[in-house]
Amino acid sequence: MEESKKLEKKDESEQRVWSWGAGTEGQLGTKILQDELFPRLLHQPSLSSISSLACGGAHVIALTSAGKALSWGRGNSGQLGHGEIVSNALLPKAVMSLDGYFITHVAAGWSHSGFVSDTGCVFTCGDGTFGQLGHGDYASHCLPVKLSCFVDQRVVQVACGMRHSLVLLKDCTRTQVYGFGSGKRGQLGVGNNKVKSVNFPRVVNGFEDDEIVGIAANGDHSAAVSVDGHAYTWGRGFKGFEDAHLPHCLNSSLNFIKVTLGWNHALAMSAEGEVYMLGGNHPGVLNISPPAKHLPESREVNLERVPGLDGMKITDIATGAEHSVIVTGKMTWGWGEHGQLGLGDTCDQMSPVTVSLGYDLNGAESIKVFCGSGFTFVVTIPLILLKL
Amino acid sequence: MSYDEVEIEDMEWNEELQAYTYPCPCGDLFQITKEDLKLGEEIARCPSCSLYITVVYNMEDFLADSDQNRRNNGLQPSKQQPVTVA
Repeated sequence: MEESKKLEKKDESEQRVWSWGAGTEGQLGTKILQDELFPRLLHQPSLSSISSLACGGAHVIALTSAGKALSWGRGNSGQLGHGEIVSNALLPKAVMSLDGYFITHVAAGWSHSGFVSDTGCVFTCGDGTFGQLGHGDYASHCLPVKLSCFVDQRVVQVACGMRHSLVLLKDCTRTQVYGFGSGKRGQLGVGNNKVKSVNFPRVVNGFEDDEIVGIAANGDHSAAVSVDGHAYTWGRGFKGFEDAHLPHCLNSSLNFIKVTLGWNHALAMSAEGEVYMLGGNHPGVLNISPPAKHLPESREVNLERVPGLDGMKITDIATGAEHSVIVTGKMTWGWGEHGQLGLGDTCDQMSPVTVSLGYDLNGAESIKVFCGSGFTFVVTIPLILLKL
Repeated sequence: MSYDEVEIEDMEWNEELQAYTYPCPCGDLFQITKEDLKLGEEIARCPSCSLYITVVYNMEDFLADSDQNRRNNGLQPSKQQPVTVA
């Protein structure tokens, strides 16, 4: 009796995790290799105090409030960091070799992963064919390996794209962004001459004195946001525009606080809770081009207000390869063939549609969303964890 | 409609699948075999979804002794590199 009471009480404050979309590599954490069309509530005791998730091509890394990293999903390139090559892992498993560190940030690319510790160290593992692990060679690793070049510096974030990585460094006077891996589409941001790939971190130019506070990478795109609310993108051009080999500051007076990237689109969220999109409606995935309000100047790709959100305050955004999720009442749109929109079907959606989780938030928690290439995760996070 | 146009040098040879591959946004891989390329096929399909890409390549490179040609052209090294257990 005592016991069951305890369990009930625990259940009330328990963190909730849902997943949906492409699941044939075990990336949904549902213990089966199957797509899910509806949000599926996970019952995973190991996922009980998640502070953040990183979702890649078909693998997921969870970061707990105790600074531990867990991973699951596809592991055929060593991206899970478990020390072995496995086709896939169905259950979250701790990245044991990082046990001596308090991990503060994680990233998942197409088939590689990055981890940052509170001591400012960065580790990478997985596919290194394009130099995206940054160790000075093209070797792959199935255990996280520390990037020795940053040994006396403080790394605060890492971002992993399809075949490249970014690292954000911070010291008392300034921030610096480094890039490594494939640079063919300009995604490393190291300059105008074409770089096929670099296997060692190179500094990204073009932020001048802007203090960078966030970085993002996905597909062949890279992005950063500054403390002053400027958003930068570089890499593959959106909507057929030219590739950018240096960071390009978005021409907007909005105060951006977060930018997320897909393979052909980007979302930018302002401090006021508005969401804008770059690119999108990519040929071959979503063919229908709805009439968009174009800004007068069109030498560069237009920043468009996401339709249908008037008057709503957006609190989080995430982008998969070809779909997006925003938190207000939790809405999704984009390519839906694998059920990654969570609407119970495999249809595409051109504008945001509300996803039903069948759960009411209590006042002490917040909702965070995370997207892998073709799948989605939603996590309720106690506000107390977000303030850390 | 083709999802993307991808040059053959940006695709990776996958020993297990015996095919050139490129990431598909669904999480699986677009795939095309050497036999397909020799026949002039330029569509690489994903086995898990409806998407496909157009492969940009020279058919001649695959017609005679394709392995030798690939090495001489200095294309991307094959994906199946040894994975180091640190």
